[in-house]
Amino acid sequence: MEGEVLDRGIARRAARIYLPLATAAALLFLIAASLGGEYPAVARIGGAVWVGTLSLIVSMPVVTARVKARARRRE
Amino acid sequence: MNASRLTDSTISLPVQGMTCASCVSHVEGALSELPGVSQVVVNLATGKATIERDSSRVTIEDMRQAVADVGYSVPTAEITLDVRGMTCASCVAHVEGALTDLEGVTAAVVNLGLGTARVTYVPGPVAVSQMKRAVREAGYEALERSQGLDALDRERQAREEEIRRQGRNLVIAGAVGLLVMIGTFYDMLGPLRSWIPEWLSYKWVIGLLTTPIVLGPGRQFFANSWRGLRHGVTDMNLLYATGIGAAYGIAVINTLFPQAGFGGEGATFFESAALLTAFIVLGRWLEALTRGRTSEAIRKLMKLQPKLARVLRGTAEEEIPADEVQVGDLLLLRPGESVAVDGLVEEGYSAVDESMLTGESLPVEKKAGDPVIGGTLNKTGAFKFRATRVGKETALAQIIKLVEDAQASKAPIQKLADWVAGHFILGVHILAVVVFVFWFFFGYRLYFDPASSFILSPYRLGEIGVFGFSLLLSVTVLVISCPCAVGLATPSAMMAGTGKAAEYGVLFKAAQAIENTSKLQTLIFDKTGTLTRGEPSVTDVLMAGAGEAEPGGLTAQDILRLAASAEKNSEHPLGEAIVRGARERGVEVSDPVRFESIPGHGVEAALQGHAVLLGNRRLMGQRAVDIGGLVEQAERLEGEGKTVMFLAVDGRPAGLIAVADTLKEHSREAIQQLHRLGLEVAMITGDNARTAQAIARQVGIDRVLAEVLPQDKAEEIKKLQALGKRVAMVGDGVNDAPALAQSDVGMAIGSGTDVAKETGDVILIKDDLRDVVVALEAAKATMRKVKQNLFWAFFYNILGIPIGAGLLYPVLRLVVSPELAGAMMAVSSVSVTLNTLLLRRFRPSLRSGRQTQAEAQGPEQPRWVTEPAAGG
Repeated sequence: MEGEVLDRGIARRAARIYLPLATAAALLFLIAASLGGEYPAVARIGGAVWVGTLSLIVSMPVVTARVKARARRRE
Repeated sequence: MNASRLTDSTISLPVQGMTCASCVSHVEGALSELPGVSQVVVNLATGKATIERDSSRVTIEDMRQAVADVGYSVPTAEITLDVRGMTCASCVAHVEGALTDLEGVTAAVVNLGLGTARVTYVPGPVAVSQMKRAVREAGYEALERSQGLDALDRERQAREEEIRRQGRNLVIAGAVGLLVMIGTFYDMLGPLRSWIPEWLSYKWVIGLLTTPIVLGPGRQFFANSWRGLRHGVTDMNLLYATGIGAAYGIAVINTLFPQAGFGGEGATFFESAALLTAFIVLGRWLEALTRGRTSEAIRKLMKLQPKLARVLRGTAEEEIPADEVQVGDLLLLRPGESVAVDGLVEEGYSAVDESMLTGESLPVEKKAGDPVIGGTLNKTGAFKFRATRVGKETALAQIIKLVEDAQASKAPIQKLADWVAGHFILGVHILAVVVFVFWFFFGYRLYFDPASSFILSPYRLGEIGVFGFSLLLSVTVLVISCPCAVGLATPSAMMAGTGKAAEYGVLFKAAQAIENTSKLQTLIFDKTGTLTRGEPSVTDVLMAGAGEAEPGGLTAQDILRLAASAEKNSEHPLGEAIVRGARERGVEVSDPVRFESIPGHGVEAALQGHAVLLGNRRLMGQRAVDIGGLVEQAERLEGEGKTVMFLAVDGRPAGLIAVADTLKEHSREAIQQLHRLGLEVAMITGDNARTAQAIARQVGIDRVLAEVLPQDKAEEIKKLQALGKRVAMVGDGVNDAPALAQSDVGMAIGSGTDVAKETGDVILIKDDLRDVVVALEAAKATMRKVKQNLFWAFFYNILGIPIGAGLLYPVLRLVVSPELAGAMMAVSSVSVTLNTLLLRRFRPSLRSGRQTQAEAQGPEQPRWVTEPAAGG
């Protein structure tokens, strides 16, 4: 039970880091696509979603592992 | 937890859910972080984690939790025992307590009314026989309620279930994927179109066919990826899920909303999602097949263990489970039955086939006093034997453990491959982002050509937009980069190799031993007992001062008598040979008053009022005994390959005794073959240089290290290693332990079946020098297979990544479709699987049955001569 509580806490703390990171990457792409050329809206938004998804996939495990390690050290 | 276990111990835990090399890295990482764990090796092919730990600091439950934390599981098994003798609730508590005290037992529920105990446990750390013993020690009796499944059957069942599951997925994905492909390429089928309904080519029909493929056989990738991400781990499932999900998602959007701007109806790519799924599932099925096949060696060995044994209790025969036989029990064996445990024949006579364990092709005759090995097959007669080793102590159990440990271990080359694969996944996703961004902002504008097409397909990219094109390349990079076969490349070859070698009686203790053996440059053989039979016999007895008055009136008989009496308490083979020789000639051997062995020199004794010295030149020199008159004869005898020992009585030379040991059969043949393999062969011995050189000439050895004291053998090996050579030592696993341990590869020859006590990285069960060649050839064949597998595993990635990222597009206007990328990954799994299976054809060069010329000539025989030595 205690383990489950710890896991949920770690998941929440990690999400508070990697979600904004992935969102920032998506937004950065969207801004670059909007400023950089005549891309249709679908391409800009689709691209932002894809970049955001890949950034989420990259950041989620890295951040979760670090948060978990820090939590274990505190224990 | 059993508080008395306060020392390091090694346990093996099964781990479920691992599919690739990165899974291995995550599990190893999770277990290594636990306090008290000193080493972890996870083997994907066996599905096991071998952990060295301090059991007072980390429990099995801790390890199970650590594995679960990263998204995998340690499976448990259940067994029901019949427990007799319980009468009340406290009995229940005693039995439950006895069972749960065993490490590895997670739960025990005892039912007093039914007289049963249902035990949940982790297979591996605890065995059913331990549970029964624990109940017995608590004062009750326990029997297995149902035969159920033992660990081997459970493991096989799990593997077969995995093969069946992936097989079902493959059939669905393959069959429906074929329809999708036919529908997609409908326009290009020419006259065949008359056989195919046109509606199969409609996009929404293709979409409907693709959906069950992605949500059915493809679901495993999404489920495994999500589980991994939630626990902060990434594996190859993520690459597949991202690729399949993106292709399918865009295809659905383009079908339902063709005007949305993702490329329209011409860019649906349903076939990409469908075929990608089919090819990846094909790879998974092949991997499951490979994992199932390569543990065949262990399975074959385990099947040798009979389940029942016939024990004699008084005059009555009783059939009991083999694991309940105790040391000291008298067992009866009939023709055609397997020996249940190790023992000594007490009565009867038969021939026993031991080939399944030792590789010895001819049945071995057994009579009273001879040992028998559990798992071997009785051929013709019947006999009674007394059990000497049971359970984990039997030769069969030791060999199985050795092979299992070797298969669970990791070679350095595999550690590198796993590390690369483990860190690859994130790198691939970053690369996919880079590829997408490049083609989106730059590449499409500079290079895109609507007439361009996929490689090996006339399917044009048509009106695909910037987003669709960039996404296509990004997805292709994800799939094509996946080194899915890397996880199995090395362990599958290692398992096949160790299993094959075990069939010939060659046991590698660890995967590293195989890798080291394949790189050897120099082999050093111990002389006595390794190159020679180790049963020397007296060939010459010479008296000092021929034709003159002999010191003390000594005759040849006197010399032999004095020498034998001095050596009576010696355990040295030369001493034993002299005693044997004296007894054979009817010479009386008496006990010395005083005896002292001087290692590397000889012995000193006091008997019948005389001080007797027997030994080599070094001993005589140290005690200032002038042996000048015997030197010429000694050198002549040493030139014939004999070992000469000088006898001095009361400080004066009395004579000498020559002893010769015969070379083992096949020794010349083995050395010749080792030379053909490009190895330098040396011999190390405490014998004098002349004798050693004579032996070396007979077998064709290049280099002789003679007059080496036992304690200096390891130093000699160190000197060779300092020259940059990779050195193996072949010798007795017990007596040559320091030298074996110092060498890069220690080979213990002639261990018999008590393999556990042998020092050394390689155990050669038979006393046959050809097995040294077998070990080398098996190691080289295995490492060749490993390197080939790694090549096939990485080749397609290295070739495919630049192409998949669009590097050739500006020049050739060709891109790799996601399904072609998936096909290449499946081909890499096929390549690794088929290549590993080829190792089954391995046959050692010296085991073909052909007799070589050297073998036909046979070893030289010594001659018996008694004559006085010239001089005095």
